[in-house]
Amino acid sequence: MGTPLSATAAAQAPGLDVVQLGQQLERLAGDLGIEQWDLGAACSTDTSVQVDRGEAKQLKGAQRSSITVRVWNGDGLVGITSTSDLSKAGLARALAGAKEASAYGNANDTPAFSPLAGAPLQPLDQPIQEPQAILSLLTTLKEAERDLLGRHAAITTVPYNGLAQRASERIYLNSAGACRAQQLSTASLYLYARAEEAGRKPRSSGAVRLAYGAAELDIAGCIDEAAELTISHLDYAPIATGYYTCVFSPEAFLDLIGAFSNLFNARAVLDGVSLSNRESLGDSLAVPFLSIHDNGLHPGNIGASSFDGEGTPVGRLGLIENGVLSHFMHSEATARTFGVAPTGHAGLGAKVSVGPNWFEIGSGATGGGAQGLDRHSADGVVWIDSLSALHAGVKASQGSFSLPFDGWLIQGGEARSIEAATVAGDIRQVLKALVGFEGEAKVTPDGLCPHVWVEGLSITGDA
Amino acid sequence: MVVSPPLAKVQLDPFDLSWRSRLEAVLASGRAAGASLVEVFLESTDHIGLLAEQDNITNVSPAFGKGAGIRVFLEERDGFVSTNDLSERGLMVALEQALGMLGLERGSSDSSRFDGLADLRDYGQSKQAWLGHCPGLGEATSRLLEGTALLERHGQHLQARRGSYARDWQEVMVAASDGTFARDIRLHQSVGLNALAADGEHRASQGRRYGSSDRPDDLRQWDPNASAAEICASAQAMLRADYVEAGSYPVVLANRFGGVIFHEACGHLLETTQVERGTTPFAEQVGSPIAHAAVTAIDEGLSSGAFGSLSMDDEGMEPERTVLIENGVLKRFLSDRAGELRTGHARTGSGRRQSHSFAAASRMRNTFIAAGPHSPADLIASIETGLYCKSMGGGSVGPTGQFNFAVEEGYLIKNGELGKPVKGATLIGEAKEVMPRISMCANDLELAAGFCGSVSGSIFVTVGQPHIKVDSITVGGR
Repeated sequence: MGTPLSATAAAQAPGLDVVQLGQQLERLAGDLGIEQWDLGAACSTDTSVQVDRGEAKQLKGAQRSSITVRVWNGDGLVGITSTSDLSKAGLARALAGAKEASAYGNANDTPAFSPLAGAPLQPLDQPIQEPQAILSLLTTLKEAERDLLGRHAAITTVPYNGLAQRASERIYLNSAGACRAQQLSTASLYLYARAEEAGRKPRSSGAVRLAYGAAELDIAGCIDEAAELTISHLDYAPIATGYYTCVFSPEAFLDLIGAFSNLFNARAVLDGVSLSNRESLGDSLAVPFLSIHDNGLHPGNIGASSFDGEGTPVGRLGLIENGVLSHFMHSEATARTFGVAPTGHAGLGAKVSVGPNWFEIGSGATGGGAQGLDRHSADGVVWIDSLSALHAGVKASQGSFSLPFDGWLIQGGEARSIEAATVAGDIRQVLKALVGFEGEAKVTPDGLCPHVWVEGLSITGDA
Repeated sequence: MVVSPPLAKVQLDPFDLSWRSRLEAVLASGRAAGASLVEVFLESTDHIGLLAEQDNITNVSPAFGKGAGIRVFLEERDGFVSTNDLSERGLMVALEQALGMLGLERGSSDSSRFDGLADLRDYGQSKQAWLGHCPGLGEATSRLLEGTALLERHGQHLQARRGSYARDWQEVMVAASDGTFARDIRLHQSVGLNALAADGEHRASQGRRYGSSDRPDDLRQWDPNASAAEICASAQAMLRADYVEAGSYPVVLANRFGGVIFHEACGHLLETTQVERGTTPFAEQVGSPIAHAAVTAIDEGLSSGAFGSLSMDDEGMEPERTVLIENGVLKRFLSDRAGELRTGHARTGSGRRQSHSFAAASRMRNTFIAAGPHSPADLIASIETGLYCKSMGGGSVGPTGQFNFAVEEGYLIKNGELGKPVKGATLIGEAKEVMPRISMCANDLELAAGFCGSVSGSIFVTVGQPHIKVDSITVGGR
């Protein structure tokens, strides 16, 4: 049996009664003869609004709770069950289900408790904001929509919009006494406008903002960006198929790196579906002026978690440093296989998933790459603002991609929107074909990144 | 074969007539507060997911849950609240929140605005035993391992072999203040195999997923040998394939999952949610030609065992067979309760949602282009230089009707015959432009199971078509 759970945890997570939950689990597990277990639980309260041309379209609220219990049976095999039923009966069913599933646990790859599940966590500056009344959110969004519609006569609707806020808690407990809890409040705003001029095709673009509360959202900035981008796509032309130097926006490059994060994923390496293998650490993967870190604790990461699904502290990890593959992201099980420490990138499961938290992309300490890059004075360069359909157009285990994008062709310093086009390539070639970085790194929902210049990418257009 | 008991049978409280009074209290309270209409959606779920890698079962992930979604309309506006708390108090709290979103409050004693629920239409009564008839963990894991072993037998240069199985059981009850009172049990199973072939720098991954509804024996009837053979042949063909040359070509799209082109390029634009948003170019086109005369397209929820079939939709309405396009002319939109209210298009039994956390929306079910008079060979023979898309991946459609989807297995067409395999193709275009270019339909209509993510979450759907020819489409490549 594990150490009695600390009463101080309850104060950290008032919505989920951590002490009661832990004690219930201990009793129920004892009844079923389960000596080793752990648990991840989360609950949240969400409210959101959508509007349509000055009217409320939908107002939505949700109370959600979920729990995943994991048990080790007498043979050391692991089973899990998840449920949204946090009643005593629900927990009992979940434990029984996990025990039944453990009979089919994988003897060749059995997770254990993270050795860091009790290690100190780095403090996060995440102010908890009081939620606003939903009718107040509605008023705010109506005003934002009206403002955006008034920016240009061609902007006739904002078909995709939403203002949402969430209060959430998550916990991790295990039978060895580990106890993690975190509370969070977040808010988001997205505005995607549709514009159409007579005799021309409709065009669309938008912007997103995140904050710890609705009152902190940069609403004016979101409207400005959505309007600017949408208007910039009104004057469009087809692009000729060919090879171009491309400038990726921070958001687009982060999307691309995220889609190929199996390069750094120890789980994918062990499963044989990564572009890397166990001997790849130390390989030169990119131009020497590229560094990629994963840093879930960056202050710009709204909604950061201080611990992962196994209770391991989240931290900053170098993935590519000065062009060289330096570390993999790990769960407890993959770290044990590699003989290293878990890195704070795990989920919770019988087979534990591994994934990135928040990327920092830029030049390493050594700097380098072409200097003084300026897309606004470029010629024959494609500026890729956003990539689409990554779920369909990325072959992560093959390295290739072919993706529709929104962007502009810059000729003689003048940017003109591209009607419809795809960009295709291989991520390994992209990482070797970086020309340099432009401007300061920008904080986005997925990470920190400057504009990134890449040469020789295949663009397919209609011209 | 390992013998085991069936998968865990979760004894959640069943949705039966004992719920009537509780639901009527909620509905009456909402109507008395001034709501035009109140709807309660109750849900109980029991899921199992299995993963096999190489020759091991590496993940068994059961999940179960329950919840309710309460939607309140005040004329055309609506508020929606979901909760995991199905107690009387929990439902009333959710109702109060939904009412509050519309500026309404509980408290009125005017009970004359609700006439009570109709007799229960119980589509689930005959389905009570389905869960017990599904394969147990031992049987299911054995079938998956049989599949990954067959990949090894049929394949060459295989670096990774995977099999996955999911069984989703769902009990739902819908009650609305217009008297709607209905219950159903749904069962969806899907099984898939994937293989990654690697030889030096050459890599190819291929997969196939099969799915059905309402057939407890489906995993037992699955043919893993045929699946494995098809996947390995495809992976072998694509392993050393060259990248397709970018450009605009005539293309032939194979049947079954080729239907994703209609789903993405046109189907979504025929949902009333798109009419509401003003994002479909077809909003005012009913009765007008929007496609080539060769195209007749249908959406229905009736095909036996198909992934997108339903006994009732998530608003308690029986699904219809909806002819969307007939000989190129737009006939109908897919509509749900809100769509009917806001656009005037009559409901089609298409109100669907992933779970109680989502309000229902007009969504596709089994959507396909009808068979035509030609043979598949006729279509290939009609093209001098083009592309044959034998296997399609996923796709999407944007807010201006631009669609895209990936080609998993493609072959060049030269002088009316299939040529070498090519990879890396993405087809892009706009619905208004591509629909008139579907000029030939073959006589080999087949359906394929898929998942569709949209405004009301991820749902089970079927896409389908015969082989079709598109006269010209932009092919992204290198």
